[in-house]
Amino acid sequence: MNSKQLRDKYSIIGVGYTPQGNVGDRTALSFYVEACVNAILDAGLKKEDIDGLMVYRHFEPLTNDTEITPYLIAQQLGISPHIMAQEANCARGHLVNAIGLLEAGFCNYVLIAYGDNAFSGRRGFLKEATHGEPEGDNEVFGEFGLVANYALAARRGMHIFGMGPKTWREIAVSQRKWANLNPAAMMYKKTLSYEEYDNAKWLVEPFRIYDACPVSDGGRAYIVTSTERARDLKQKPVYIMGIGEYNPSVDVHQSDFMEGPTGAKEAGKIAFTMAGISIDDIDACQVYDCFTYTVELTLQDYGFFRPGEGYDWFKDGRTAPGGDFPVNTSGGLLSEAYFMGLTPLTEGVMQLMNRCGERQLGPKTNTKKPEIILCSDNGGVFQSNSTVILRSS
Amino acid sequence: MGYEKPVPKPNSDTRAFWVGCKDHELRFQKCKECGHVRWPPSVVCPKCYSSETEWIVSKGKGRVYSFVVYHVAFHPAFRDEVPYVTAIVELQEGPHLLTNIVGCKASEIKCDMPVEVLWEDITEEFSLPKFKPV
Repeated sequence: MNSKQLRDKYSIIGVGYTPQGNVGDRTALSFYVEACVNAILDAGLKKEDIDGLMVYRHFEPLTNDTEITPYLIAQQLGISPHIMAQEANCARGHLVNAIGLLEAGFCNYVLIAYGDNAFSGRRGFLKEATHGEPEGDNEVFGEFGLVANYALAARRGMHIFGMGPKTWREIAVSQRKWANLNPAAMMYKKTLSYEEYDNAKWLVEPFRIYDACPVSDGGRAYIVTSTERARDLKQKPVYIMGIGEYNPSVDVHQSDFMEGPTGAKEAGKIAFTMAGISIDDIDACQVYDCFTYTVELTLQDYGFFRPGEGYDWFKDGRTAPGGDFPVNTSGGLLSEAYFMGLTPLTEGVMQLMNRCGERQLGPKTNTKKPEIILCSDNGGVFQSNSTVILRSS
Repeated sequence: MGYEKPVPKPNSDTRAFWVGCKDHELRFQKCKECGHVRWPPSVVCPKCYSSETEWIVSKGKGRVYSFVVYHVAFHPAFRDEVPYVTAIVELQEGPHLLTNIVGCKASEIKCDMPVEVLWEDITEEFSLPKFKPV
């Protein structure tokens, strides 16, 4: 694939937020719609400009919610897009697909969104996994989904490479420090110490409660268009410098890549080739962090450190405010809010737009002003990865 | 009181496996073309796409590929079980099977330790393959 010609050709031009965390008594649909409207307003577009709409696979509706479809969202947005899509089963192809549609000329402005009322609807971890195997046949052994699935992978990583809680503690605590600078984060007012991590209850061992991200209410959306179109718009565009996707697909129960390399390695290679840069050029990372181990393994797979050397890389708050390699600067899924891959991606965009307030990278947080940020989105249980390298314009 | 935990829900792909379990046999599909032993069941071999398949009986021996300890019951019928261990066992024939490790303390389990199958007859219709240290 000759992807280099696509470098910087497409840009993200607007982000939509909603109230998030424990919002209460709202449908998932309402969060989708609010996030989409805010993204359109943020980009300075008219709603009629949106000719592509892509929404994430939605989980089983909670309470009396209706099933989310792109039709329903388009109806409430008052738009009639040329192209609509709803990605299913945890694949991570939205942005690649959007770029394909823009490049082929089917669309000019693609809106990508996610929303859920998971916190107030009390969505558990139970129904979030999409397994290759019939779910019932896992439950007969008392196996109930994602926490244990990722914990299985983490245990293998501990066994093969000596990965583990010492590193995960650094990740959880450093991300919490970022959240403490982010008024929109669920954990804005809750600090986390090493001691609290060490003394926390087991969830599914080797994971303690602080190794797992909470669910949240809210929505998030962003818009992608050509860099050429982006020049005349309201926000300073953020270039998509490189992008890659890879889907190993094998269910964690049969996978032989629990300790890596996951899809991040191949997706990363494709993204770096397109961008024409190396990991030495990356100023910060926004990494999908459903669990602490996901962060350790994903960055290991990109080659930021050698297998099993994560602790030396993360220690002493290196990825926290004031550290020399910021990671998950909104607090991430662990401490900000859960919007699938939109949490890391939109944070990368907002940092490069210089719109992050107290947590803004640069002098404000005693960190380097970023030019290039790597965003990573993982799906299934390491079954899918999308890697996006963003650059400020 | 009857069995309150979830029971298997066989479909046309998995039925032969669960019928085998009732007979205390671990049955897997083996490709007649390339010899790959596969799990979960499928109409074709994912390695060579041959649909020529035979069912073999595993020796029921393998190693713990990975394991976790549940400290939270995600289902009411498991409340009295916690902490309990779910694991992936890599059978000598190749397949990775989700199961439980029983017959030892969770703290004694290590990845790669050898285990063998034992059977738990849960209902008239179903038996579950679980594993214990050799």
